[in-house]
Amino acid sequence: MNCEVCQLKELEVESFEIREVLRCILHTIVFHRALGLIRPKDIDLELFEITYVQCGEIEVEKKIDEKIEQFINWIEKHPNKKSQICLSFYEVKSKQPSWFTNKIERLYWEQWYINLNVLQPAKPPVGKSHHSKLVMDPGEASEERSSRRTLLEQSLQEVLFQIIKFVNEKKDHVPPINDGVIYCPFEITIPSSSDSAFGMDMFKRILHSGHPSMLG
Amino acid sequence: MDFPENLPSDIGRLEQIVSHFFPKALHIVLNSRIPSLQSRGRSRERLSGLNVRKSDKWFNLVMGDRPAALEKLHSWHRNILDSMIIDIILVHPISTDDLDVDDDHHGDSTVRSAETVIERWVVQYENPLIMSPQSSESATGYQKVYKKSIILLRSLYAQTRLLPAYRVSRQLSSSLASSGYDLIYKVSSFSDIFSGPVTETMKEFRFAPVKVPPGRLCASVTYRSDLSDFNLGAHITLPPRIITDYVGSPATDPMRFFPSPGKSIEATSFIGRAGRPPLTGSSAERPHSWTSGFHRPPAQYPTPNQSFSPAHSHQFSPGLHDFHWSRTDAFGDNHQLSPPFSPSGSPSTPRYISGGNSPRINVRPGTAPVTIPSSATFNRYVSSNFSEPGRNPLPPFSPKSARRSPSSQDSLPGIALYRSSRSGESPSGLMNQYPAQKLSKDSKYDSGRFSGVLSSSDSPRFGFSRSPSRLSSQDDLDDPDCSCPFDFDDVDESGLQYSQSLDRRKTSSSISQSLPLGRRSSQDAAVGVLVHMLKTAPPLRQDSSTYMASMSGVQREGSVSGTESEFSMARSTSDALEELRNYKQLKDLLLSKSKSGSGATRVH
Repeated sequence: MNCEVCQLKELEVESFEIREVLRCILHTIVFHRALGLIRPKDIDLELFEITYVQCGEIEVEKKIDEKIEQFINWIEKHPNKKSQICLSFYEVKSKQPSWFTNKIERLYWEQWYINLNVLQPAKPPVGKSHHSKLVMDPGEASEERSSRRTLLEQSLQEVLFQIIKFVNEKKDHVPPINDGVIYCPFEITIPSSSDSAFGMDMFKRILHSGHPSMLG
Repeated sequence: MDFPENLPSDIGRLEQIVSHFFPKALHIVLNSRIPSLQSRGRSRERLSGLNVRKSDKWFNLVMGDRPAALEKLHSWHRNILDSMIIDIILVHPISTDDLDVDDDHHGDSTVRSAETVIERWVVQYENPLIMSPQSSESATGYQKVYKKSIILLRSLYAQTRLLPAYRVSRQLSSSLASSGYDLIYKVSSFSDIFSGPVTETMKEFRFAPVKVPPGRLCASVTYRSDLSDFNLGAHITLPPRIITDYVGSPATDPMRFFPSPGKSIEATSFIGRAGRPPLTGSSAERPHSWTSGFHRPPAQYPTPNQSFSPAHSHQFSPGLHDFHWSRTDAFGDNHQLSPPFSPSGSPSTPRYISGGNSPRINVRPGTAPVTIPSSATFNRYVSSNFSEPGRNPLPPFSPKSARRSPSSQDSLPGIALYRSSRSGESPSGLMNQYPAQKLSKDSKYDSGRFSGVLSSSDSPRFGFSRSPSRLSSQDDLDDPDCSCPFDFDDVDESGLQYSQSLDRRKTSSSISQSLPLGRRSSQDAAVGVLVHMLKTAPPLRQDSSTYMASMSGVQREGSVSGTESEFSMARSTSDALEELRNYKQLKDLLLSKSKSGSGATRVH
């Protein structure tokens, strides 16, 4: 089974917009992979005029919110950084226990990479002298902010269209629907404190999957 | 995979997938566009598998009951080879100035309605191939087909929420007054071709087809990407947006105050969500709904003649609250209200702030709302206590008490009962006198906090109602002047703990005689006994004369105690012996102390 990878368009967000943007994207993806009996839930974003759909499962909501909180905490420690969040869907395969492998193997069949460029709000200069050119006019600042917000809203919509298009075009790799399973098991990987830990996560995933395409 | 129905052949199942795909797609589209066709009575509890209808389980997407109009459409579309074309039409007013000059109402500017197709959804089962025996493929294929059709409908569902017509639908459904705009639909098997200028403003999105042998299921949408030409925002009156968590949520800044009703409020402080970061404390001055008792409005604002209960912090206006729930009913549960549809925000003052529409909400400054049981529960508790004299479900009194005047007319008549017993009157007599008065008081004030009942025994009984104010009521009842009946059993036991070194009968009798009520009574009794004990104890410094006198006194005490022990032996020999033993121990203790204190003085 192939592991399909989708790189979503990069979004420039401010720190207070992260939660809404990530919720929107992650839930939209999971909704398309929640193939069990669900009752969809429409959610309006508060910062944008966009409505997205949730699958309505509380566990999914909780899992996503937890990861978003972790990501926000990480962002606070690593400001002004481009970051990537990986949403991976996998199948659980039972395997014969051996010395080097676990009993349960995860076979990743789809990965989504959400690219965010978190912007920090420009702080006023601290010092005795205040240059006029450094101090922005409040009107200009609000205009710039609103234009940036409009652009972000359009970009977010494009990302959602991108998700729908990808989901439509590639369906063969989706594993069969199991009875009683509401949504395909997934995991969300966020950048960790150290790059080595992030690398370890990737290495673990490779070991679990054991698929040659993951090594490429 | 849970397939709704079992059919003997896989071809039949594939046919069923196709035949059910059309009404499902129709339901999704019209549910998101036409408010009158939205499913009613949807609740999260219905998704239990038992309450969901079989027809709703198709494609694992529960939409709720299908409206009757959709059922008719489904019955109309029987031939799966027929395309299903759903036109979403916007009815909008146009001025006759824009019309042709040959119009009969020439020169008379009136508003007429026009219809414009803003969306066209096409669902079809196209190009069926020649039927070929592909039994092996179809035998295992229907699950894959079903899975892919589920994914297709998921993306169709999400797509309906992203297109501009969805916003129009929401605006129209939430519009308070008739604006001349409306969304209607038309379902047909064939459609008119769009004109050239129209296609220029329209975009098309084609969903990836799903192969359903022998053909394939296709879906596409052609839509207007820009609806600003219709000036919807200028004509549709939207109600003020209810920000439910703006005031009532502890997550927001609590240090805000409501200005006086006459003071105007800038709308920007309430439309912060649309385009601003979280508001700071200086942006708005409104009291938090649950801090009314702790944060008074500033001096420049008169105290508003309103009060509100923290328990109802989200319900400032019944009308608006109903509106909020009607929206959730229409669009699903836990539906968060969206930002204002006009991005710049409406400058109108929120209705729940204006003086005319401001509701009256009750406040209890500085206190939380207290649950006061109804009289029915009060009477029930009273009767239960009366019937079970030995029952004392409540912990003992706390030593603190709130002294109240007997004449204070509050909802604690029990305190008056307790207090009057402390004044020295016979508790039993007082108890006998009070019940009628107390019960009448209870009926008058209907506090429900106490259920003071006299038992048929000599020991009055008292019971508390289990309310949040129980502790305060206990504190109140600890007031020694309270003469309400209460449960004596605990008091007797606790009183005896303070009198282990004394004649237990005397102690108990003294307690029962002097202070019949409360732990405070038993403590006082114990103090009295101790004082008596100290008075009768032999002096620490003794000479021979005084020693003999004390000894005689002790002997006398002993004889008295002996008499009493003899008397008690009549009742219980073991009790008497135990008393004597205790007395001897105490005596030895006192003498040993005096011996160590006096030094040379020899004490027996």
